[in-house]
Amino acid sequence: MNGADDSTSLERVGDVVWQIPMSGGMRVPGRVYADEELVASLRGDQSLDQVRNVAYLPGIQRYSMAMPDIHFGYGFPIGGVAAFSIEEGVVSPGGVGYDINCGVRLLATELRRPDLEGSIKRLVDQLFRDVPSGVGAHGAIRTLTRAEMEKLLVEGAGWAVKNGYGRPEDLERTEARGALPGADPTAVSERAYARGDDQVGTLGSGNHFLEIQVVDQVFDAGAARAYGLFEGQVTLMIHCGSRGFGYQVCDDYLGVMGEAAGRYSIELPDRQLACAPVESPEGRRYLAAMACAANYAWANRQMIMHLTEEALLRALSLGPRDLGLRLVYDVAHNIAKLEDHSVDGTVGRLCVHRKGATRAFGPGHPEVPETYREVGQPVLIPGDMGRASFVCRGAERAMEETFGSTCHGAGRVLSRSAALRRAKGRAIDRELAAQGILVRSQGRKTLAEEMPEAYKDVERVVSVMDRAGISPRVARLRPLGVIKG
Amino acid sequence: MGAPALWATRAMNEVYRELEHPADLWLEIRGDDPESLSEHALYALYASMVHLERVRPLEERTLQAQAGHLAGALRRLLAEALYLFDAEGYVAGAATVGLSAGEPGGPGAVALEARVWGEVFDPCRHERLSEIKAVTYHQLSAGPATEGGWRATVLLDV
Repeated sequence: MNGADDSTSLERVGDVVWQIPMSGGMRVPGRVYADEELVASLRGDQSLDQVRNVAYLPGIQRYSMAMPDIHFGYGFPIGGVAAFSIEEGVVSPGGVGYDINCGVRLLATELRRPDLEGSIKRLVDQLFRDVPSGVGAHGAIRTLTRAEMEKLLVEGAGWAVKNGYGRPEDLERTEARGALPGADPTAVSERAYARGDDQVGTLGSGNHFLEIQVVDQVFDAGAARAYGLFEGQVTLMIHCGSRGFGYQVCDDYLGVMGEAAGRYSIELPDRQLACAPVESPEGRRYLAAMACAANYAWANRQMIMHLTEEALLRALSLGPRDLGLRLVYDVAHNIAKLEDHSVDGTVGRLCVHRKGATRAFGPGHPEVPETYREVGQPVLIPGDMGRASFVCRGAERAMEETFGSTCHGAGRVLSRSAALRRAKGRAIDRELAAQGILVRSQGRKTLAEEMPEAYKDVERVVSVMDRAGISPRVARLRPLGVIKG
Repeated sequence: MGAPALWATRAMNEVYRELEHPADLWLEIRGDDPESLSEHALYALYASMVHLERVRPLEERTLQAQAGHLAGALRRLLAEALYLFDAEGYVAGAATVGLSAGEPGGPGAVALEARVWGEVFDPCRHERLSEIKAVTYHQLSAGPATEGGWRATVLLDV
């Protein structure tokens, strides 16, 4: 059932900010960040109804928000941000998504573009061999025992570092230091363990990728310097999440929350908004299981970074010092977190859901690594494999308007079947090679589904949040080589 | 009973089709009755994940699912198959499905039991297609179709 009785209306309240006025059972208005063209593409789209439906949920604060990469999701829209009071609010697995802590990790090197002349193919092949990818990918490391898995679920990226897959300073540059507190391995089903115990260090499939990139434009020299980025520099980007482990946690708790919502008499305009009070046994248990999956994802990206470094050293016959690989930052874009934010002048703890939205904490925030604190948190926005990805920075305005959140990517514009139809008779890999981008993929179907024209132009999405002053652009990264699952 | 004819050897073109969806796989499935509808739904799931031409009926497994209504039981059946693929790599190339009715209106009003024949996925032998994250509750339906036969819609998160 839809909470809307008619099509959801939008009123412009700023250059790139649109409001959905309160109606029906909405407790707060909706807010959408978009330019005119993006708004035109949203007219009549169900995702706006979803923004409105989220506003019905108990304890929601200020606005039900959507970022410019908004598109239709299950219950909550993708690109949705909603914060709930701990005392009166709810937590919802549909507000996080199946791929818990899907996120992005950016690695910088000391290499310049010319350093890869003649070795890109070797490098892409090596990464394709060494980083397991594709449907059901497994086997990056041996299958973990139950005791090892439980430690990993509590310690996250720290577990990987402790076991030799990375450096302690990597944790400083990972959101939440790579481990959410409160993870409880007993809140996780046997099925999640069975789906996840051999997938640590694997990329998976779909829109996940590992990319070799070059910094082709710097927009904010000061912030780029703080992040250690410069024009012509070779970087690598990892985009993946908690694999089958996280999918199973979400699936398990959608069932639990479906029953809980009725038990707590929470009226839902859409049953996929299934939720429970944050402080209820069901709510606490979901957060404890979700933290396990989030920590799994951080360990996964930490492991992939390690495998990537080994592959680079082997393919380029370099020493670690010459390669100079280091973590710029790692962000989650599918997560619910307990954070302190100011509402009507009072700072309090809220449960912030970001589903296809990136944390963007501004300058001076204690959770931003000290080295970046003066400029704000690095925000990593992946695009499609033919165009670009962006590094932005969290601004003070994000803290004031969006609970420290911004967009997370381009968002699809073609369905998978439409992309397959458009790719018929074409060789996407050869088209990309003609643009100087080498792609290796486990499956031709994924490559066709993920072709660049299947996505909106990420530049447009990023520009909206730049214009809004939420996450100004710092640098643009162009792909040179892509590993797809 | 031995394995029925493998899906790869049968004409399966008409049993399901993809509906337009911006990001995921939204499937419309057809069958003559709830049992064949469920079998075709299993075929649609496996055919979305793996090219089934080279899947051999080396190992028989049983999948069970129940819910208060057919759509719920079907979703659970598919979730069982997805779990088995993700946890053990098991992919089926043929199936038969039986349906039994429990107490009307109860949580086990519809029970499905599938016998599936297949093998463990081997990347050297089988071609991968889409990675399915979950069988969602969204756009989920199953029942008699107005034009005759049975129809289900299932949305797979990719």
